[in-house]
Amino acid sequence: MAEEDSQPLPEELSDAGIEVAGETAKEAAKILPSIDNAKILKGETYTYHSPIPKSIQEDPKGEVILGVDEAGRGPVLGPMVYAVAYCLKSDNPMLREHKFDDSKKLTHTLRTNLLQTLTTPDTTLHRNLGWSTISLSPRDISSGMLRSSSSSTYNLNAQAFDATAALITAVLAGGVNVREIYVDTVGTASTYQSKLLKLFPNIAITVSKKADSIYPIVSAASVCAKVTRDAAIEVLVPEGEEIGSGYPGDEKTKGWLKRGMDPVFGWEVGMARFSWATAKDMLEGGGKSGGVGGGVEVVWPGEDGAEQTITGLWGGAAGGGWYGRSVHGEF
Amino acid sequence: MLEARLEQAGVLKKVVDAIRDLVQDINFDCNDSGIALQAMDNSHVALVSMLLKSEGFSPYRLDRNIALGINLTSLTKVLRCAQNEDILTLKAEDTPDTLSLIFENAENDRISEYELKLMDIDQEHLGIPETEYAAAISMPSAEFQRICRDLIQLSDSVTIEASKEGVKFSCSGDIGSGSVTLRQQNNVDKPDLSTKIELTEPVTLTFSLKYLVNFCKASALSSVVTLSLSNEVPLLVEYAMGSGFVRFYLAPKIGED
Repeated sequence: MAEEDSQPLPEELSDAGIEVAGETAKEAAKILPSIDNAKILKGETYTYHSPIPKSIQEDPKGEVILGVDEAGRGPVLGPMVYAVAYCLKSDNPMLREHKFDDSKKLTHTLRTNLLQTLTTPDTTLHRNLGWSTISLSPRDISSGMLRSSSSSTYNLNAQAFDATAALITAVLAGGVNVREIYVDTVGTASTYQSKLLKLFPNIAITVSKKADSIYPIVSAASVCAKVTRDAAIEVLVPEGEEIGSGYPGDEKTKGWLKRGMDPVFGWEVGMARFSWATAKDMLEGGGKSGGVGGGVEVVWPGEDGAEQTITGLWGGAAGGGWYGRSVHGEF
Repeated sequence: MLEARLEQAGVLKKVVDAIRDLVQDINFDCNDSGIALQAMDNSHVALVSMLLKSEGFSPYRLDRNIALGINLTSLTKVLRCAQNEDILTLKAEDTPDTLSLIFENAENDRISEYELKLMDIDQEHLGIPETEYAAAISMPSAEFQRICRDLIQLSDSVTIEASKEGVKFSCSGDIGSGSVTLRQQNNVDKPDLSTKIELTEPVTLTFSLKYLVNFCKASALSSVVTLSLSNEVPLLVEYAMGSGFVRFYLAPKIGED
């Protein structure tokens, strides 16, 4: 998934045109229940749960399948969104009828329409499909990855796994009889599967590559994640600014990062992932990265916690009058 | 003008190697006593002070005091062109823009000449107070280096405890703890391998190992190192040379325990 993800999405930009895509996303941002403007702008991670669909409420013992997918793992900008989607196993064919597929294969407009239908009461989708998202903010992703000691860093995979587990746990806690889980792989499928199995021993768990195009329920999750992320970007990016694809390799994205960087504080915490090499190098600039960016070198005198200084110690001893005396007086 | 001839280029090479991780740009102050430098690292936790006495040069000629502002990385590049046994001559005008370095190799009559551009460095000097230390430990420099390198694998700081019995270096980190104790001992055959402790009162202080490991690069200059400690003052780590010294001062850490 990471490989696929790391490519910009030219087909998306060309199919509808940036303007049109931007407009629809803006519309979506207004109505999407999984978008919380205030939290996105503040850089807070938050979770959204749809109500439990009517069909599941009416048939609480019915077997439910659940799909997990993510959007925005690779980009240096914006939140990483994990989504689960779930429905009665018997409703699976209904998803195919709605043409759910890997979110990258659907056009922006198609995806947005699907989610619009999903959030409109009295539609088949709304009655049958439940979904939840967790939007991991750039601030939280970065502060996890950049913890000071390497033994305590909270890497992206671990954050992704915990987000997934939290979403599934919440759905189960709602009384949904989940029997099968399908996950698009992060890293090696088998290790991910066994980790999930430990948490959910009574559920059949399938972790596979390309799950988002094989299993419609994962496709549904993938659409929820992608549309939520795109809408979040619309919330974050000021009108008329060109950020490119958001991927670190994209020149437009780099250009935006450079233009918008404060030499001391970098970027809005809700916007940029400081832990991405692209951002880190720019902000460190002038340092060992060889002056790539225009960041100011920040010296943290108290970094080691309890270091005194030579000047502090001797300044006291010599009554503070140590300035300007020649060192040669000593010899 | 300055003209200073050093029998062995290796001495200057080793001095520069020992301090270049601590400071980048530095003034070499030339006066009647010799060539001296003093600088603090960016965080003001450590200070290095070096003197190559005029007696160590033959000849040492100086008309008026001058300061040679040098980037140590650049100086290192030039010094790499010298072999340890080469005779090194430093030359500079009274108000110099450049420093000439001449390397003579007696064996094959080779003379290499380099000119290093100088820079203006605005530098304050710190008057180093006279200090009566509570403990002075002299020990083989290789031993001290080994202890620091061993302990830094476990922790970023070391506690040095000097008592009548000996000196104990201890640390503890995420994976566990470790300590090395050296007892006082006099090696008659090889005095350089002795460990001596002069003590007026027991003292225990904690220091950053990162700096100590850095200081240990000066081990090539002297087979003996002296550690002088007192409460509330910086640790002194001294490498004495035949005609001069390199001294490092390091502020202790507080609130470790």
